[in-house]
Amino acid sequence: MSEVQHGFFRHGDNSYLANFTEAEREVLLNLAEQIIELLAERVDHHNEDPLAAMVGITVHDTPPEDEVLLRLLPNAYADQVDASEFRRYTESTLRQKKQAHAMAMRMHLKAAVDGVVELDHDGANAWLGAMNDVRLALGVRLRVDTNTQQDLELLAPDDPMRGVYAVYSWLGWLQESLIDALMDESQ
Amino acid sequence: MPKVKSKNDVNEKLDEELKAIFSGDIPWVTIVWDDPVNLMTYVTYVLMELFGYNKEKAHELMMKVHTEGKAVVSTGSREEMEHDVARLHEYGLWATLQRGDQAL
Repeated sequence: MSEVQHGFFRHGDNSYLANFTEAEREVLLNLAEQIIELLAERVDHHNEDPLAAMVGITVHDTPPEDEVLLRLLPNAYADQVDASEFRRYTESTLRQKKQAHAMAMRMHLKAAVDGVVELDHDGANAWLGAMNDVRLALGVRLRVDTNTQQDLELLAPDDPMRGVYAVYSWLGWLQESLIDALMDESQ
Repeated sequence: MPKVKSKNDVNEKLDEELKAIFSGDIPWVTIVWDDPVNLMTYVTYVLMELFGYNKEKAHELMMKVHTEGKAVVSTGSREEMEHDVARLHEYGLWATLQRGDQAL
């Protein structure tokens, strides 16, 4: 990525800036778009009650089979009956809220002039949520629960996971820079 | 002078518990679980933003999650805890709710 790294920094009241290279901007745009797509509703039209769908109730009460989606849309209860009931009434809203974070991120990146992204507090929170969702998704693929940091840093140069780990680490660093800038304000 | 715990005190405590059970006043709790991806600073920040906790309180809860694997981050009615869990899920924290009198 860029040689001189700043990440996000605070710029006066309620303003957080970052200056991305074109390559960085494209990576972030791509990731935001993948999250938006990943979180699109499960298509099951023949079973869907249109009126229920309108108010956010879906026929889906089973956890997603894909392990990335399951991490993004986890069970709220250990008890399976309670978890299903909760999911039926809330999963659709949760998908939309997460998509809204990634859409805000995409909008800011599209509107960036010379790679400069400027966020207010709400925008910063949307970015944090979206960057975290991307890291959660990549973390599942990288098996960060069982692989140690050393395992991941020693991936072979031709291992496709090496690039994934580079993006994962960079996003963590970027997320941290934004949190530092926000925490600075709250002191 | 230290108060000696009388049989009366014990009965009072039991009465209170029984009353809570039958009146539906048993609080529910929201639990955040440790996760290998979420940054420590991020968990602290989300707890401050969502619950209005100050930095010290949020940091203390985050450390409990990190070292003990989980922590109760809020207490209240079942509906309130469902709302808290939904907001924590929105920001990617791994959270569940349960009755407060159940073993963690």
